[in-house]
Amino acid sequence: MFIINCPFCGERDQSEFKAGGEAHIERPKQPTELNDEEWAEYLFMRKNIKGIQFERWNHAHGCRKWFNMLRDTSNDEIKLIYKMGEKSPIE
Amino acid sequence: MLNYQSSIKEEKTYSGLIVKEVVPVMKLNLRGKNREFLSTIGKNINMTLPLEANTSSSSDNYTSMWLSPDEWMIISNYTADKENNNYQIEKLLFSKISKTNLGAVTDVSDQFVMINLKGEKIFDLLSTGCPFNFNEFKKKNGAVTQTLLLQIDVIIHLKEINTVNLFVRRSFSEHLMSWIDDAASRL
Ligand SMILES: [Zn+2]
Repeated sequence: MFIINCPFCGERDQSEFKAGGEAHIERPKQPTELNDEEWAEYLFMRKNIKGIQFERWNHAHGCRKWFNMLRDTSNDEIKLIYKMGEKSPIE
Repeated sequence: MLNYQSSIKEEKTYSGLIVKEVVPVMKLNLRGKNREFLSTIGKNINMTLPLEANTSSSSDNYTSMWLSPDEWMIISNYTADKENNNYQIEKLLFSKISKTNLGAVTDVSDQFVMINLKGEKIFDLLSTGCPFNFNEFKKKNGAVTQTLLLQIDVIIHLKEINTVNLFVRRSFSEHLMSWIDDAASRL
């Protein structure tokens, strides 16, 4: 159990949220020009690293808004939370 | 109002707590975000929607609760006519907001059951089934939160100190009420 600071509602228990996978994956501009391998890469392949990872989260049982999070997957330490549509501040 | 059997049959009294359903109450869900949407609502219902998170605002007839940066719920402060499912304000807002594509107005009167809790033990009860921290909430008149109670989505509105209105989807209301009955009897 840990606390997540929703950018709209404030600090809430993790059980109110749903994790939405890796963040900042861009849809290819011209999917028709990709071969199967490249399309699969976009569709299925995720970094899933042990360590600091960019993720999307949804405040599913609160304001129902999506936002981005920078989280250390090894110890659940949340480094940063920022709104949807904002560029990742690191990298 | 639709013709349904209320899932909560009677007013219940426990130590430090009284629980009853308030029915029928008009409830409207409003969605929209631009300036024109906000000003049109303000003009037509004579109150401003709360923009600060987790708060509500009230006029003589209505209370509006913040649900999200672009979502609110308006309820009537008084019970409505049981035989009638038409609300003047819904018609008015529908024509000014939905028809003009400024936002969306949805009648959720029958979707949500409104349960009124009164007494100094409200938050002792809620804390046993909620991950939400009520320490600040219970001191702040008009505070609103959406959270989980017993894994069920609820909207909790602190109408005034020691008076809470709880909104729950109808299909969950009977289950929630039976839990309240059980948990409150052991407060
Ligand atoms: Zn939220």
